[in-house]
Amino acid sequence: MASFTDEDRTALTDAFRRLLNDRAGEADVRRVMETPEGYDRDLWRQIAEMGVVGLVVSEDHGGGGGGPVELERIMEEAGAVLLCGPLLSSGVLAASLIQALGNEDAKARLLPGIADGSLIATAALTGDAGEWTPEAIEVSATEDGALTGVASYITHGQNADILLVAAHMADGIGVFEVAADAPGMTITALPAFDHTLRIARIEFAGTPAKALRSDGPCWDAIEAALDMTRIALAGEQAGGARRVLEMTVDYAKARVQFGRSIGSFQAIKHMAADLLLESESATSAARHAARALADGADDVRSSVALAAFACADAFTTVTATSVQMHGGIAFTWAHPAHLYLKRARSDAQLFGTPSFYRERYLQAFGA
Amino acid sequence: MTISDEALHKEVTAWLAANWKPTFRGRAAAGSAGGASPEWLTMVVEARWAVPRWSEQWYGRGLDDHQARIVERAFAAVGAPGSGQDRSNLWANTALAYASPSFKAKIVPALLKGEVGMCLLYSEPGAGSDLAGVRTRVERVDDHYVVNGQKVWTSSAAEADYGMLLARTDWDVPKHKGLSFFFLPMKQPGVEVRPLRQITNESHFNEVFLTDAIASAENLLGPLGGGWGVLQTALAYERSVMGEAARGPRSGAKETGGETNLIDLAREAGRLNDPLIREDIARVTALKMLNRMNTARAKADLAQGTSSPIMSLGKLAMSRILHEEARVRTAILGAGSLLEGPDHPRAEDANFLTLNAYFTSIGGGTDQIQRNIIGERVLGLPKEPEVDRDVPFRQVRGG
Ligand SMILES: Cc1cc2nc3c(=O)[nH]c(=O)nc-3n(C[C@H](O)[C@H](O)[C@H](O)COP(=O)(O)OP(=O)(O)OC[C@H]3O[C@@H](n4cnc5c(N)ncnc54)[C@H](O)[C@@H]3O)c2cc1C
Repeated sequence: MASFTDEDRTALTDAFRRLLNDRAGEADVRRVMETPEGYDRDLWRQIAEMGVVGLVVSEDHGGGGGGPVELERIMEEAGAVLLCGPLLSSGVLAASLIQALGNEDAKARLLPGIADGSLIATAALTGDAGEWTPEAIEVSATEDGALTGVASYITHGQNADILLVAAHMADGIGVFEVAADAPGMTITALPAFDHTLRIARIEFAGTPAKALRSDGPCWDAIEAALDMTRIALAGEQAGGARRVLEMTVDYAKARVQFGRSIGSFQAIKHMAADLLLESESATSAARHAARALADGADDVRSSVALAAFACADAFTTVTATSVQMHGGIAFTWAHPAHLYLKRARSDAQLFGTPSFYRERYLQAFGA
Repeated sequence: MTISDEALHKEVTAWLAANWKPTFRGRAAAGSAGGASPEWLTMVVEARWAVPRWSEQWYGRGLDDHQARIVERAFAAVGAPGSGQDRSNLWANTALAYASPSFKAKIVPALLKGEVGMCLLYSEPGAGSDLAGVRTRVERVDDHYVVNGQKVWTSSAAEADYGMLLARTDWDVPKHKGLSFFFLPMKQPGVEVRPLRQITNESHFNEVFLTDAIASAENLLGPLGGGWGVLQTALAYERSVMGEAARGPRSGAKETGGETNLIDLAREAGRLNDPLIREDIARVTALKMLNRMNTARAKADLAQGTSSPIMSLGKLAMSRILHEEARVRTAILGAGSLLEGPDHPRAEDANFLTLNAYFTSIGGGTDQIQRNIIGERVLGLPKEPEVDRDVPFRQVRGG
């Protein structure tokens, strides 16, 4: 892994922020969320050129060789503007899964394309139950690698060129590579409540697939990829929460009722203070988990679980309270509050719910 | 004239048996007694069941609350709408209390029969919580009034025949003293309605631009300069209605209140054995039940001629119930709540409720304002200092 200095990180984060401010403002989000693909391909190319899409891909395979610490920072910026696109699905989840499997052939074939943004990949890890556990997998593979069953809640499944599908095999769980145009497979775009997100469901009926052999158990590789994804998502949530709080505080200063700024009412001031506690805690949790994962620290399991639920809850709470603090204006489609609220609600369900991670958090302490 | 409970019950059930048909369910004008056709409502009014507490002169029977409830329950038992409007019809109650005799004679029956659509022209871009800060200007010209200004968040404005308008008629007195209240005719050239898209993706509320709109002298409710007092009556009815019922999941304008809903949902989702979900369902179900008990107790107190502090709590309680129910529905569905649209009705319900809960926690006076009112008017805590209370409105800082 390449070592990123603090300066490197700051430089990358600043450049990314500038690009997003330029190209991924609210108007851009609203425009692309209405398109079928749901993201701006041109911006995607620029993000890739900047090294953000391939940030965690190893340098040997055309990536930046970064780790969770850099990734988390980048994702805070992405969350702040509600960036649309397969960054999490392709650059984080799929890339990390391929790397965690340690399959040299797959790495050589797929990672360079993922890193330069020309190949979009994602992972199909759960079924209609929508729980990210081995038991919730509803796809099975035959000896010769034909897939049958259902995978759902696949982030950017409809955008992907390549799908990495978790399936039951005779002796455990395997990961299979399927091209989006493979025969015997129906991809359905699901209507997402969060219009900035794309999710899909796939029915497999004897779909030919390529098994990606791994040195260790495949589920361990999936968990490793999910850990990286959780850190990224936690960063997105923390960044989103902070931005929404900023917007809300600005509004509370500017809006006058009863001859004074609404922020001068203790009801509003106290809500704002509570939200600061939420968003700061989320930021601490996300950054701590990133560092723990990077260092392979003893507390990595509990730290990642904590970040997963603390950041999900913080983003949900901040966005929900923000609507209340704005009053009627935030009940309109034209105001951005609902875009963040909807993203917060979907982020809180993807890759496991807060209560799932609270349970894991306790288990990490042996409870 | 008094009637025994038994005789009353017999009379109302017999009348319903002879007259009610489910085909009478339909759309009355916007904002009126929900889900009934004007044809049915007219029958209810003429048979004097619509407002049993009101006097005979005004389509009522002069019943006390206890007997009026017998009538309402008989209607509810067969699913017939239209009774109990003496509690729930905010427009008719406000008109009855404040309209001029000539206007009252026309408008009250029309309101009870659902023949006229209504909206509330209170909020403005600069005056929401601080309604006494409205800047819509009304001037007397010859024998009528001329209205200029802008209203916002006006639900049902596009379908309305009249809007209950709060506007400023005197700029040289403190803010609460220069207001007047009108039934403004909406279908006229000076009224322009522009729909606003809501976070629910619906467009029930609107911007309303008033440019030399005309109100006749008889459209004034209460005295000139007495608009704040009329508003208090109207707001009390609005909030008490919002505290008792709310629009449930998207699938219809059903009241929330079916305790089994969440249990059924959890059973269907295979989550009924999850102790966390059970705990959540118990909590929400209890909140609903307690709100109903509070309301019932408040009503009983009212009947004995005392005013009830508990009444003020209903809207605040409802807001909490709706937000909590939305959270629990989401928890039950898990990843299923990521979806929307007709193929995913459960998700649609949970997500709609999550958003529409703000209708109750913001609309009709926010939760924060309700808490202030409860603290100050019910508990008698000292009022917040109001910097602009006694200043002539001309000198007040705008929003
Ligand atoms: C769905 C919906 C439908 C509506 N329908 C109508 C309608 O038909 N007709 C109509 O006239 N209006 C309608 N409204 C408007 C509604 O009444 C106002 O939105 C509401 O009163 C709040 O006013 P505001 O939006 O200007 O928010 P503001 O008053 O600007 O409030 C912003 C924030 O400041 C807080 N705040 C303000 N003052 C205080 C205080 N003194 N102490 C503590 N906190 C305070 C509020 O609680 C809120 O959190 C509707 C609103 C919604 C959401």
